[in-house]
Amino acid sequence: MHVFLLGVSHRTAPVDLRERLDFASRDLGAAVEALATRPSAAESVVLSTCNRSEIYVASSDPDRAREELTAFLSEYHALPAAAFTPHLFSRDNEAAVRHLFRVAAGLDSLVVGEPQILGQVKDAFQTAADRRCTGPTLSKLFHWSFVVGKRVRTETGLGEGAVSVSFAAVALARKIFGRLEGRRVLVVGAGEIATLTAQHLRTNGVAEILVTSRTQAHADTLAETVNGRSLAWDDMAQGLALADIVVTATGSPRPIITRAQAEAVTRKRRPDPLFIIDMAVPRDVEPSVGDLDQVFLYNVDDLQTIVQENLTRRSSEVTRAEAIVAEELAKFSAWQRSRSAVPTVVALRERFDRIRRSELQRLDGKLAGLTPEAKARVDEVTRLIVEKLLLEPTEQLKGLPDEETQVAYTEAINRLFRLRAGEPAPDPDDTATEVTPADRRGK
Amino acid sequence: MNLLPFTLYAAAGVVYAVHFAKRRPSVGRAATTLLLLGALAHTFVIGMQTMEVRHVPFANPSRAVASFVWLLALSYLYLELTTDERAMGVFILPIIVGLQAIPVFYPGVENPDPVLDSPWFWVHVASLLFAYASFALAGMLGLTYMLQFKEIKKKHLGYFYNRLPSLHVLDAMNSRAVVVGWLFLTLGVVVGVVWTAQARALAPENSNLQAMSLQDPKVFIAIVTWAVYSFAMFARKTLGWTGRRAAWLSALGFVIVLLNFLPVSYFVTTSHTFQ
Repeated sequence: MHVFLLGVSHRTAPVDLRERLDFASRDLGAAVEALATRPSAAESVVLSTCNRSEIYVASSDPDRAREELTAFLSEYHALPAAAFTPHLFSRDNEAAVRHLFRVAAGLDSLVVGEPQILGQVKDAFQTAADRRCTGPTLSKLFHWSFVVGKRVRTETGLGEGAVSVSFAAVALARKIFGRLEGRRVLVVGAGEIATLTAQHLRTNGVAEILVTSRTQAHADTLAETVNGRSLAWDDMAQGLALADIVVTATGSPRPIITRAQAEAVTRKRRPDPLFIIDMAVPRDVEPSVGDLDQVFLYNVDDLQTIVQENLTRRSSEVTRAEAIVAEELAKFSAWQRSRSAVPTVVALRERFDRIRRSELQRLDGKLAGLTPEAKARVDEVTRLIVEKLLLEPTEQLKGLPDEETQVAYTEAINRLFRLRAGEPAPDPDDTATEVTPADRRGK
Repeated sequence: MNLLPFTLYAAAGVVYAVHFAKRRPSVGRAATTLLLLGALAHTFVIGMQTMEVRHVPFANPSRAVASFVWLLALSYLYLELTTDERAMGVFILPIIVGLQAIPVFYPGVENPDPVLDSPWFWVHVASLLFAYASFALAGMLGLTYMLQFKEIKKKHLGYFYNRLPSLHVLDAMNSRAVVVGWLFLTLGVVVGVVWTAQARALAPENSNLQAMSLQDPKVFIAIVTWAVYSFAMFARKTLGWTGRRAAWLSALGFVIVLLNFLPVSYFVTTSHTFQ
């Protein structure tokens, strides 16, 4: 069974079209169920994120699958097919498998290596599996893609390093303090950047967020949104003494925290490090504050530099990640080929065994004089002969190096043994009559 | 007999280095397995030697070094298994391999003075060796703390930043290692002093015992070590010397320990040798 994929992604479609073809905002499970009623989509998974809507099906007829899936997209989203067909992309067979592996690895993401996509792929599969819309082909394929995603994450640096300023700030804080639980944060200023960073720190489990701003009302509002406590502007020094992490982001033209102030505060503080993140332009903290022992001072340019370095490092890891994808793709294809050999192998076995049994039955009269043990022995020996004869061809068939050879071999075996489905299997007795009496005597 | 653990330790050292550079979990597990095998082989060797001479073999400096290596390997494995942090291995293994080379090339003969045949002696040496193993861990934790501190402070987040645990974790582990080491050092020194006094009365003819005093470099440096770590603990509690300063102190302390352990034991000590 082949894998077929049809969809849109950030590479092929503008955002407004992606939005109109999005499945995630509505009931994804219902969508998969509706899809699975189409004949070529009996096995189907829908992966829908803000950057892509992709439908994976197991089908042996890609042209028919393309037609049916396009019709489904058009009906389900109430869009004329002409509106989106130019932006559709499709992949068949190995190319489809490769695409999913690259998606799960984060190689096809807008921000290469972003961590959410693997979870989204898992969710997409789970939703389909819960509705019994998956089967052996897609089930194996998706589980394999989870392995690929995990391998790329652990064996390469593709997902490593923050790629946004506020993520970079939190990553640094974790590198200094370990877990952020129990840590106190002082936010100076209440603008957008301050809010974003504060929220980010909150989701990372900091114990308390103190907010101070020249305009008390702004401080109160931000304190409320991040579930913190507001502090009067004049009490900033007090907040500095309490905090482990300080985020400054005011519009002040002059520094708010001077070296003298910081020195006075650090003398009073616990000896733990103080991490100051200066998000403001122009800067809120005098650069020489960073020279104080136990003070780590990062401004927005420093963080930007880190982000840039991380992006560069990620792109240098792409080659390694692609190598893993290629390696797993080869393994998956080998598995698929060995699996597509299974029906032939089973049919061959059945044919051989039927012949064996009918021959034994025919000889039943001549064997009547044997003890039950001896009869069992005869049965066993004939069975072993059949199995040994079949062992090597079975192994060879499962291990063929590429699909073309496999098709040719399967075809040949089907013809040689007349195994093709639909054709009446030759009657074992017919084969028996082909054996001449002279042959039999010779046995 | 010390060659097998040495080879396994050396192999583990190489694999830890590969793990540090490549950060493959499977390589890390291989490194731990090799170290574990090395420690097991070493346990066997020390067990055999114990049966052979009918006491734990550390009356001569080489065998003491081997026992120290064994304790360090076990302590490090304990640290690794409890914290799930493998990055320290690349710093600890060179010490293990380097020191284990000594008993391999200079095995020495275990032929202790009969005056040492006392349970107190074994408590004395075992506590001190364990203390030194803890200090070795603390020293390496201090070193890595300083490397990482420098990278974050200078805003060059590079090689170590991506590989080492957080500063907080390094500092906490360092503190714990120093406390454990200090307790055993104290025990070892106190037992040594008390037992020397007893043994002197029992063996008035033993010149070594009679000469044992603070003037022996080995005893003197042990006291200096004790002073350094006592100060490190005191400073952490009351002066707020955590983090970088604590890291410096524990690295310094370990240099003194190594000094006492190797050149002093082999060449300088006057009374502290019982062959």
